[in-house]
Amino acid sequence: MTDRREIPDTPLFDRDVNRQGYALNKFAMSLGRPDNRAAYKADEDAYLARFGLGPATTAAVKARDYAEMVRLGGNLFFILKISAVDPTPITAIGAAQVGMDHDRFLKERLGK
Amino acid sequence: MPQQWMRDHKPDIAVVIFNDHGNSFFLDRVPTFAVGVADSYKPVDEGWGPRAIPDFDGAADLGWHFADRLVERHFDPLICREIEVDHGLQVPMELFCGRPAERWPVKVLPIWVNTIQFPIPTPQRCWDMGVMLREAIESFPGDDRVVIMGTGGLSHQLQGRRAGFLNPAADRDWLATIGPDPDRWRGMNREDYVETFGSEGAELMMWLVMRGAMNREVRTLHTHYHVPASMTGAGCVVMENA
Repeated sequence: MTDRREIPDTPLFDRDVNRQGYALNKFAMSLGRPDNRAAYKADEDAYLARFGLGPATTAAVKARDYAEMVRLGGNLFFILKISAVDPTPITAIGAAQVGMDHDRFLKERLGK
Repeated sequence: MPQQWMRDHKPDIAVVIFNDHGNSFFLDRVPTFAVGVADSYKPVDEGWGPRAIPDFDGAADLGWHFADRLVERHFDPLICREIEVDHGLQVPMELFCGRPAERWPVKVLPIWVNTIQFPIPTPQRCWDMGVMLREAIESFPGDDRVVIMGTGGLSHQLQGRRAGFLNPAADRDWLATIGPDPDRWRGMNREDYVETFGSEGAELMMWLVMRGAMNREVRTLHTHYHVPASMTGAGCVVMENA
């Protein structure tokens, strides 16, 4: 997008990211259904293959690399559904975004 | 305090302004504003299975009346007849009603605001929708009593290298002034919200729908702030028209 003021270190979910991350977010959205969660858990590769993610995105999902998923157009509200299948605290996902150790993130960013 | 206020005033309908968090709407269709006209709303499965709470009875007649008034006044929402609701509606309802075993004490009129995908609406547009909401409530036949819940987290950011951003000073400023001095918040632009409250903290502008529906002068009865709830500034203000 062009006519918007950039805010440092703050990605906004706009048309470019929508295009880039659509398949990833669609896969993640599908995990809102129990039958899909079961199919995903049963055979991750086969399930991911349905969504045409491309190699980089597939690798990021399989590695549970949430920072990379966001970089590739994932939106946290959708990809959080992956963390429901494979439990990961949202604060750990936050720490990964920053590239910070989880404990340090809790202390420095959240004051915990 | 919020639950005591509900017990004392016994409203019939709760209008809940909130954003879906990628649960009821996907990116295939993104309504800027959506109005519920269903008789009933089930809690949606957000990935862990639907939460064990009762379905919400819908204030369908008020929903349709509101949709009529909006479109007459050149304000064009998506109108939803069958849709589930996520924690954006559930959590404020629990804050105000507790968690009932069988039935919620009020019917709900859900209003969804897109705060996820740009273009999100402007703060001024949220305010304008509140003005329309007031007109609809005042012109709705009958003597139903209505509570309006403007929702949305205070400061938080979940994505990018600024993830974990919190701004307690701005949150406290918001809570102290949304009643007496809402114009300064209404005059800010979307980037101001993102910068001040974080990329997901821009949700806060949804409070302006509620505030725009109220009198110029309000009495603030209760203010509470806690930070962080998970990664989010959490606050509650109870106001009545003065």
